[in-house]
Amino acid sequence: MDNLQLLSLFQLCDSNLPVGQFSHSYGLETYIQDGKVHDKQTMKEWLMVYAEEQMCFSDGLGCYLGFQALNEGNLTDFWEIAVRLDAQSLSRESREANRKVGMRLLKLGQDLYPNSTLEVYKQKIKTDHIKAHPALVFAMIAYELHLSETETVVAYLYSTISGLIQNAVRGIPIGQTAGQTLLHDMKSRIEKLTDRIKTLSIDDLGATPPGLEVAQMRHEHLAVRIFMS
Amino acid sequence: MNRWTGELQLNMKNKTNKTIAESVFFQGAFKVMRPLYLDDSGQACYYILNPGGGYVDGDRYLISVHLQEDAELLLTTQSATKVYKTVQSPIYQENRFHLESGSVFEYWPDPLIAYQDARYEQKTTIDMSSSASLFYAETMTPGWSEEAKLFPYTLVHLKSDIYVDGKLVVLDHLRFMPQTQKIKGMGFLEGYTHFGSLMIIDPSIDLYLEELSQHLLRDYDECQIGFSRLDVSGILIRILATNTKQLEDVFKGCSTFFKRRFGRVVPELRKY
Repeated sequence: MDNLQLLSLFQLCDSNLPVGQFSHSYGLETYIQDGKVHDKQTMKEWLMVYAEEQMCFSDGLGCYLGFQALNEGNLTDFWEIAVRLDAQSLSRESREANRKVGMRLLKLGQDLYPNSTLEVYKQKIKTDHIKAHPALVFAMIAYELHLSETETVVAYLYSTISGLIQNAVRGIPIGQTAGQTLLHDMKSRIEKLTDRIKTLSIDDLGATPPGLEVAQMRHEHLAVRIFMS
Repeated sequence: MNRWTGELQLNMKNKTNKTIAESVFFQGAFKVMRPLYLDDSGQACYYILNPGGGYVDGDRYLISVHLQEDAELLLTTQSATKVYKTVQSPIYQENRFHLESGSVFEYWPDPLIAYQDARYEQKTTIDMSSSASLFYAETMTPGWSEEAKLFPYTLVHLKSDIYVDGKLVVLDHLRFMPQTQKIKGMGFLEGYTHFGSLMIIDPSIDLYLEELSQHLLRDYDECQIGFSRLDVSGILIRILATNTKQLEDVFKGCSTFFKRRFGRVVPELRKY
């Protein structure tokens, strides 16, 4: 990876990226209101199950498969993954969160990298039964930047987890330092998770633990909310 | 492989407001009796019988239902599906449901009970018209073992793909692996033991969706319920509970709204 690639990757993973990730907790807020997530330790517990049992089989696997499809020049597979990745998200708020964040990342990506295949993705959304998803937009940008498959997945998982921790810092709340040590702890997990994702196939896409899903659905009916999902 | 341990194929049609069988085929470990008519609506009802008593190692099952235009069917089971110890290959069940325009399909089986070291995989494909109606319930228990240990099984893997007018709208994928997952903990069953899922897809759901939502938010203190509107005209309801009855109560409650729009009441399906 040259310096320009490295810097582009920093930018892409920056939690200040204006794609609206800070508005979405993906069910975490339900756990906070239930009192089940209330400090760094309980946040870690939630994050581990979310990352290893949901994100791994949805965003993480989607990003990996999407990148592979691009690498093989197989856009048909890429759209098939897009349809499945959207259809496996059964909580309406999480589904809409992915579409919104995905769309904003797509538009930002186009501003940063004009004349890229992102235009094809955007056209496909207009004309077909295809929705934007941040994992796939990320894979597309990373592919344009000539990053490797592993770098792409690792970076995507990192940026998502880092965003969720930022939300926890505000939402629980926990201290900024606690947030950073948690993110530090997650780094070795992200590596392991990436190794695991590489052993999976499209048949594994969407496996979701019921409790996380129930919490994501229940979020729709919370009386007071600071997050949109 | 073409050989199924148990196979059931139903092809139903509407004949002057009564649903009758165009063809019924079963072989091996599955069997149905003549259709029942539980009310005067013309909707047919079949109970699936499993004379073998349970699913064993390497078994493969197929349930295939084709509802022609305006046909109405309620499909249930006579008893719980018991999945026994699996040593060689996982037990596999495939469900293929094809619902043509205006048809109504209610699939409401008894609970799944997986025994010690059982492995069970189920693949459901529903291919429906946007003018067809679906009521699809599923119940997972914590299984059964001699030592009364909860979650003694190895794998229960349930996958459902739902296509409406040819487009994939729901990919429902649940994988329970109690030996490697913290199944009772946060994210999985949250301290509960039973899991239920109910999907209602109905072109007229807007007539009762608000009332159904209020009912779900209000009337079930003992379980934890999450529900969400689908992109198509439908709702998915997930329930965490501590016994089968709580789940059946939610299904019955929801069924009331679904049935009422056809001017019907919920039948008493179970013999216990």
